[in-house]
Amino acid sequence: MNCLNELKKPTRRVLLKGLLTAYTASLIPFALAETVDTPEQGAFVALSAIIAGRQSLDPVLAGMLYKALVEQDPGFPQAAKELLALINQRQIDPMQLQKTLDDEKSSLASVPRKVAMAWFMGVVGSGAQARCLAYEHALNAQIVADVLKPPTYAYGAYGSWARNPTVELKKEVNNV
Amino acid sequence: MSDQLSADIVIIGSGICGAMAATHLLKQGASVLILEAGGPIDRGRVVAAFRNSTRKSDWMSPYTCSDIAPHPIYKPTDNGYLVQGGPYPYPAEYIRGVGGTTWHWAAQAWRLVPGDMRIKTLYNLGVDWPMSYEELDPFYQQAEEIWGVSGAENTGSPRSQPFPMEPVTEPYAMRRIRERLAPAFPVVGNTTARNSRAYDGRPACCGNNSCQPICPIDAQYHGGIAIQTAVDAGAQLQVNAVVYRIEHDDKGHIVAVHYFDADKQSHRVTGKTFILAANGIESPKLLLMSASDKYPNGLANSSGMVGRNLMDHPSTSLTFDADEELWLGRGPQSPSSINTMRDGEFRSEHAPYRLDFTNISRVNSATDALITAGVYGAEFEKQLRHRAAFEMSLKDVLEVLPNPENRISLSDQKDKLGLPKPKVNYAIDEYTRKGAARSHKDFARIAEMMGGTNLRYSAEGSFANNQHITGTMSMGIDPKTSVCDSYGRTHDHDNLFICSTGVMPTSATMNSTLTAAALTLRTAQHILPNRIIATEQGRG
Repeated sequence: MNCLNELKKPTRRVLLKGLLTAYTASLIPFALAETVDTPEQGAFVALSAIIAGRQSLDPVLAGMLYKALVEQDPGFPQAAKELLALINQRQIDPMQLQKTLDDEKSSLASVPRKVAMAWFMGVVGSGAQARCLAYEHALNAQIVADVLKPPTYAYGAYGSWARNPTVELKKEVNNV
Repeated sequence: MSDQLSADIVIIGSGICGAMAATHLLKQGASVLILEAGGPIDRGRVVAAFRNSTRKSDWMSPYTCSDIAPHPIYKPTDNGYLVQGGPYPYPAEYIRGVGGTTWHWAAQAWRLVPGDMRIKTLYNLGVDWPMSYEELDPFYQQAEEIWGVSGAENTGSPRSQPFPMEPVTEPYAMRRIRERLAPAFPVVGNTTARNSRAYDGRPACCGNNSCQPICPIDAQYHGGIAIQTAVDAGAQLQVNAVVYRIEHDDKGHIVAVHYFDADKQSHRVTGKTFILAANGIESPKLLLMSASDKYPNGLANSSGMVGRNLMDHPSTSLTFDADEELWLGRGPQSPSSINTMRDGEFRSEHAPYRLDFTNISRVNSATDALITAGVYGAEFEKQLRHRAAFEMSLKDVLEVLPNPENRISLSDQKDKLGLPKPKVNYAIDEYTRKGAARSHKDFARIAEMMGGTNLRYSAEGSFANNQHITGTMSMGIDPKTSVCDSYGRTHDHDNLFICSTGVMPTSATMNSTLTAAALTLRTAQHILPNRIIATEQGRG
């Protein structure tokens, strides 16, 4: 299996918490106890959590995305590390991150979009070099999975789409 | 081998028209050989390729482009196959492969309205068709029964027999749009080749919402089904057979076609009757490529009209956020529209149009937009859900008038086999632009009635293309101004017929495939093998 823990044979594991400041730790409290093999991978996992804004991320998919990002750009691990350091140091809000980097014409400006594309669309790389690593497990499908199926997946029995989805959602909430 | 390369009927192109003609003629006892330039297409592989595609909004991405028979590709880079001559871009998309372009469609199965076929008489515009709507009606019905068309009788197109099946269940979003726009705008269900019940061995729709680029369960009819039916009925199908010349005798009678295989070995195929069914761009290209001493301007081209009068359906659009949750993406992609502007006296002033509501999931486009805008963190989830729930979009589908300057011709560039790439010249005239301007009044009113905010019109003066290639081999009564007669028989060659959207002399406002299929069945009936074979024997 292509998982994060098997990318390199580790001798010592790194606790993600150790890579974060109090500010970035506050953005991703759910991820603090996770361990990674190297500080670079740790930086990717931390960045992923900050950019995706999710309470948990699939570690297997994380491993696949990281491997593909490194294959596309051998400089990615270092760039991820530098970007995390920048966020740590300057306490940049995720919503301001891209604008800040773009405004400053930072050499790291492409990094958040690469991470966002990977997690939200399952796509790593661009143009003819692009690769798709996730579709139904990409976060943009997961985020709406309670209402929509990814195209090509059956919605349901014939005619089931006539129902009001908001009523269904409320029912689900009431049943919790 | 040589005796296999001959048949009563030789058809160039295995798309929906060629395949339907083949099946009809096989049932009459003719032998049929179909030559397809591209390779096989497999439904399961296309589904997998779409899921693995890095460009989910590029519906050509799951389809393989043949090395020897390329089709236009624009992403991730333009393959330069369709040479743009301007002034307006015409980025046509079509598929060269077994079954052709309708692998990749929304199965819109519209009839014209009677006025569409008489716009010269009624509005002093364009040309009249060489037949009436009433003459086409029984062939529409035949095509609808083969395809399994579902629909309601409130779309403006008369019919003498009922639809083969009930309309497909209306998605919740479309119901809300219909309810909120009534009575100012009557929103009606689209007629589609989509099953509302099991039909002809294919299941009812289950709402995969990927009609384009591929229905995973064949709940919608397409050319892949049509060609399988033809092969099952006994058609010989030769794939990777790129026809590059149609050969005639000294009387102008067609005697053979020549094709290159994948190794560029040339083969000669003889027949009694020939049907050109290679779409509205490749077909005129082949006629022009077949120029000879006797026909220096190409075959079937004594009028000079081959490749000219190119038409399509340009569209502009409005996207906005409604004031209630609609959640587009549940059910089929293109279920509903407004048909009130398809015909009327206004046509003497501006183009008619249909207004089409999309039900395509907004998730992919919204994700793209949010990443482009740098929306990250918890805000991404919040905004994605909002857009997926509230966003809706509609477009106009506008008529283009025939204009000989809009045309397909041969470029001076060559493909891998050394054959000329097609060149297109295209422009959008004031008639169509005025129609778009008129439709924007409807856009604004509809947005208002839906409580719309965050209105996003398509760029001013920018038109999307709908891939409804028409006009390039127009039918007509006068051989001086048209390429073929109402039966698709070329005026210049008595045994060369054309089955294609390209024979339509005007484009109207509706997706063109059903009309082409009805015309194809009319042509196939006219060709009746007994008559052709008797003619051949008489000639021989």
